[in-house]
Amino acid sequence: MTTISDDAGVKSTLDAGPVTLVIPPLAAMVRVGRLTASSIASLGDMSVDDIDDIKIAVSEMITLLIQSGGRSAVTLRFEAENNSFVAEASTPASSLDLGRNDLALATAVLDAVADSHEIAFAQDRIMIRVVKTTATRTADAEPSPAADV
Amino acid sequence: MEEIGKNESIRVSIDVDGTVIAEGDIDLAGGPLLDTAILRLEGAVPVVIDLAAVEFIDSSGLRSLLAASRRAQGRGTSVVLRNAPSGVLRLLSITGTTEQFELQGAAQ
Repeated sequence: MTTISDDAGVKSTLDAGPVTLVIPPLAAMVRVGRLTASSIASLGDMSVDDIDDIKIAVSEMITLLIQSGGRSAVTLRFEAENNSFVAEASTPASSLDLGRNDLALATAVLDAVADSHEIAFAQDRIMIRVVKTTATRTADAEPSPAADV
Repeated sequence: MEEIGKNESIRVSIDVDGTVIAEGDIDLAGGPLLDTAILRLEGAVPVVIDLAAVEFIDSSGLRSLLAASRRAQGRGTSVVLRNAPSGVLRLLSITGTTEQFELQGAAQ
């Protein structure tokens, strides 16, 4: 449940999710996914910085699935709470190579912008789950060793 | 100014002084257009990319910039990122790749 204000500034509670979106595995759809996520996140108490982090995280999720998946649709699920945002994404695939260089760069970014993230391969699907809570931007001072990627 | 191309994410052009101008989002859709512009300019002098109008970048966009930097270093030159907004600087910091570029006029 998410508390929002109407035009008169009156706060009320809104069940803002989950919202499910199924997109084709096209580069143009990465933008669609992250803008949808940011719109949903803005219904909660997320700051502008938090929403920027969510846009990056969702972009990384969709890009990873388009590049690693089996050229099938990507299913996205977003849920906003008052102080957290959960994004889940999956697509059919035959395998997942967690040692790929581009994956290392993406996971380094997810480490920095999200509170937690999980990437898994099960039942012939790659699944990614990211959780972002408010005011947790802390990782800027800890650059990852991703420069070789 | 010569427009190299545009799509739903990005518009890329080359200014009369040879500076690559990127406007919009450097992501999976925007990166390849940026690659096209950079590859047209690569030579003995640094490639200068003006990022003032970039609104978003992710790791797939960063890979385009890193690949250009790697090629430039192979030629004994560099990639200059001009007017990089805070989002670009943050991604460079997160990934430990700031040192791969020469920064000019970046946001504070």
